[in-house]
Amino acid sequence: MSSEQTVVINKSNSTKSILTYSLILLVFIIALFLSNQSEGPSKLPKVVTDEFTFTAWVNDGEDYLKKNYRWVTKIIAGYIKSGYYFLEDFLIDSPWLLIASIIFLPCLIAGGLRLGLYSLFVIYFWGAVGMWDESLQTVALMGLSVLLCVFFGVILGVLCSQSDRFDGFMKPILDTMQVMPAFVYLFPALFFFGIGGAPAILATMIYAMPPVIRLTNSGIRQVSKDTIESATSFGSSKLQLLFKIKIPLSLPSIMMGINQVIMMALALVVLACFIGAEGIGGQVWLAIRNLDVGWAMEGGLCILFMAIMFDRFSMSLTKQKDTLPSDVQEFYLLPQSWEKFQVARFIEKPLLYLHFVVNLVCTNITNFIAIVFRNIFLFFNKDFAEDLRDFLSKRYYIIPSFIVFLIISLIDSYLISIGTFPEEWKLSIRQPIADGVKSLTVNPGFIAFAKGLRAFVYLNLLRPLDTFLTHIPWWYTMSVFVAIGYFTVGLRFAVITALLLLFIGACGIWPQSMITLSSVLVSVVLCFAIGVPLGIIASYNQRFKEVLNVVLDAMQTLPYFCYLIPVLMFFGGGIVSAVLATVIYAIPPIIRLTALGLTQVSGTYSEVSRSFGGTLFQTLKKIKFPLAVPSLVIGFNQTVVMAFAMQIVTPLIGGKGLGLEVFNGLARSDTGRGLAAGIGIVLLAIIIDRITLAWTKKQRQALGLDAN
Amino acid sequence: MKLSKTISALILSFVLLVGGLTQANAKRLTAAVADWTGGEITCQVAVSMLEEELGYKVKRVVFPSGTGLWEAIAAGEIDFACESWPSYAEADTVMMKGPLVYDGKTMFNYEGDGSVELLGTTGIIGLSDYYIPRYAAESLGIKTWKDLNKHKAKFATIETGGKGRLIGCPVAGWNCHDQKRLDLLGIDFQADELGTEAAAIAEAVAAYERKEPFLLYLWEPHWFFGAYDMVGVQLPAHKTCDSFTEANNWKDCGTAAWPATGWAKDYTFNYGNPATFAKPEHAKAAAFFKKMKFDNADQAVMLVEVKQKNRDLKEVVKEWKDANPGKWKNWIPK
Repeated sequence: MSSEQTVVINKSNSTKSILTYSLILLVFIIALFLSNQSEGPSKLPKVVTDEFTFTAWVNDGEDYLKKNYRWVTKIIAGYIKSGYYFLEDFLIDSPWLLIASIIFLPCLIAGGLRLGLYSLFVIYFWGAVGMWDESLQTVALMGLSVLLCVFFGVILGVLCSQSDRFDGFMKPILDTMQVMPAFVYLFPALFFFGIGGAPAILATMIYAMPPVIRLTNSGIRQVSKDTIESATSFGSSKLQLLFKIKIPLSLPSIMMGINQVIMMALALVVLACFIGAEGIGGQVWLAIRNLDVGWAMEGGLCILFMAIMFDRFSMSLTKQKDTLPSDVQEFYLLPQSWEKFQVARFIEKPLLYLHFVVNLVCTNITNFIAIVFRNIFLFFNKDFAEDLRDFLSKRYYIIPSFIVFLIISLIDSYLISIGTFPEEWKLSIRQPIADGVKSLTVNPGFIAFAKGLRAFVYLNLLRPLDTFLTHIPWWYTMSVFVAIGYFTVGLRFAVITALLLLFIGACGIWPQSMITLSSVLVSVVLCFAIGVPLGIIASYNQRFKEVLNVVLDAMQTLPYFCYLIPVLMFFGGGIVSAVLATVIYAIPPIIRLTALGLTQVSGTYSEVSRSFGGTLFQTLKKIKFPLAVPSLVIGFNQTVVMAFAMQIVTPLIGGKGLGLEVFNGLARSDTGRGLAAGIGIVLLAIIIDRITLAWTKKQRQALGLDAN
Repeated sequence: MKLSKTISALILSFVLLVGGLTQANAKRLTAAVADWTGGEITCQVAVSMLEEELGYKVKRVVFPSGTGLWEAIAAGEIDFACESWPSYAEADTVMMKGPLVYDGKTMFNYEGDGSVELLGTTGIIGLSDYYIPRYAAESLGIKTWKDLNKHKAKFATIETGGKGRLIGCPVAGWNCHDQKRLDLLGIDFQADELGTEAAAIAEAVAAYERKEPFLLYLWEPHWFFGAYDMVGVQLPAHKTCDSFTEANNWKDCGTAAWPATGWAKDYTFNYGNPATFAKPEHAKAAAFFKKMKFDNADQAVMLVEVKQKNRDLKEVVKEWKDANPGKWKNWIPK
């Protein structure tokens, strides 16, 4: 782009932006005027809400299904249940050493000594805090859901990649699956699929399957045209192309999807306690009911450590191991970069020998077994025997592992019964955590701060926005949304937006949805105010970024039940606590993507700016921020979606709006009412998501970052 | 080859399915363990009787109370649950049929569809009220609910503005009608619904630790009274108001009757799946539930043991059972 052109564009941009800003101001002033005029919260006319009895239709439909099709769902549930109980019984009834080695050895093989030791720590922690059985129940529940998710997800993903029409059809469904609050389908699922494992697994599948479908789809679509062309020219059929070329090449992408599925499944497994699924979720919920923050944290940490373990394990399966130059000593425990220190080399020496010995033993045992098998099968079929030997001798880690499992099982059944995790190794961190929370609760300084924050958020943000949004006439809000939809996305989306908003209004939940919108907006504003500065610091300071990443990982995997009670004790129940809990849950993406966006801005830009005498802040404001906008908007977008998702949990500590409506519907066994409110949350989230995405795309194009 | 594999897999899973179904028919019951401590104790008392005296194997499922639980019982997924509070369960009038009998007297007649059966009262009688901490009652001189208005500023929070704040009934489905009561009685307070018992209690605990005044809705027996010194505000005695229903658009009876009064006594009961308890092999369990009569004082003692002394619930129930055979021997059918 030449400089003349830039100037021209800038000029037209500035007149355009003045126009836009004044238009926005005008729209806002009219809204303010209208909201001051009205006396109560705005609603759609009663005639419409009375005629549109969506709730009753849903309930009738549910009754019909219950009467006529329950036998089908019972059979499906029966299969899942038997699989689940089989796995659960195996995990819990087996001697603990066997389970520990089943977890430890794969971690050791795939992720090296570091992951192996970490997995030992995780296993110890489960047993030490007395949640051995519960942890294994969660593992069983999660394992089975992940397996089913991957199986069906990959099939659906492949189908999506083969047909654009099917892809277009699946997209809104996937969005709905991810944003629809699990509570909405959790309870109806109960009647159809019973309690416990089966409905929990199905609910987890609904929630956790989208990423694997999406990533399989995009992975297959991204296989380069040249590869496909050359394969076709060698005469591969369409199916051969798919199974021999496309799917293998998109494996990294699929593995990433599996990784996400694991994380999401763990998040939902906690909620599953509401329909009687056992596991850590039930423990955490009991702890919450008993106001035992320490106990809840123990459960939360069990899940957190488990999540990190599975995450690292699935990542290590995809990661290529980098080869080291031959003169460098390979490190197994300490970071490789410490190789320059004499002490580190000295510490690592025994490990090196140990690795060598283990390697030697394993290969020898495997080879021996392979040869034995070959000799046995030699009597039947020569080719097969050779193939078998070849096959076996390559598995020189897996086969010794199985031998270890076998030995432990044999010892347990014939020599000494190993049983469950030893009682005397227990350790509890409940008391210190509970004491910590208690001392903060009565700390005058901290409480004064908490009260100040509560007053600030309520008086300056929540109350004005709440009254403003609920009092604007519905037709005005609706037209503003439609207009924004028209200008950012297009006519078709504007029409859809209008229909979706009319649906919300006609269900009679307009005021509640405005309350939800205002809670979400306030939460997002707070996320921005806190998250962006943290992201900026992280983009400048590597050390800070590393620490922050660990904290963010923890925030994203720790079940939100764990921090609800402390938030309540400090800030009191009500909408402010609800907003703060939402901020804790939804802030990670905005911090991450700010840091990412700012570090991605290539060094040259900022260097040029520096050399022209720009200060740190000028560089940030004038150069880095504008270029990081697309990344920021994606962060904003994710934060918004997560904030919406959290709305379903906040009623547990006094949140209002659509989430409360879902709860009230469920408390009265009124699926229709719960569903309407749940759909309301989904629709609001989808509308805002689409608008921001379209806006990002425009920004990217304007900055010349996107070719299409 | 492939076909035979599929068929054998199908047969195998069918066998597993049938096996799973028949297994449930042995002398096994599934109980929903209540998720509040009082209910947990009552449940453990009932379950330990079934297991130790009647030879049942009871599978315990932690299941949050509410409509989900009622549906699960109606569907036969759970066989029974313990300690339902009549004035709080909305599902009971829809799903239960038959009399609520306490001490031989019929207290109420349910006329629902009978998809859930009332197995018998537990013996625990619940009572709800509004409470304030004793330190606040003494320093402010509050004796009854009539004194609340004078000190409403002390009970106000940032959200309630000039009004006082009631940490109200946490769940709308419990039908406490807190705000209606406050308005009818002319108490200038705002009732806040916090969504869960845990939330309400957590806030009360925090306020108590900081020695702030607060008004809390709560029920007896509850472990909170063992840990914190609370006094009731003595709402007017309960009187029913027949017109106060959803069908009547909640037409109240003024200050004369509910909801301008306190709560009725709650004769709590155990409830279960009618088909399960109609089976001959469960006749003894059904007879046990008819006879069970636990009481408030015993539960209160055990609440303190479990909540304040952090003891194992099963151990506490076992101790009570061993020490007081006279109290429960006649619950066991011959």
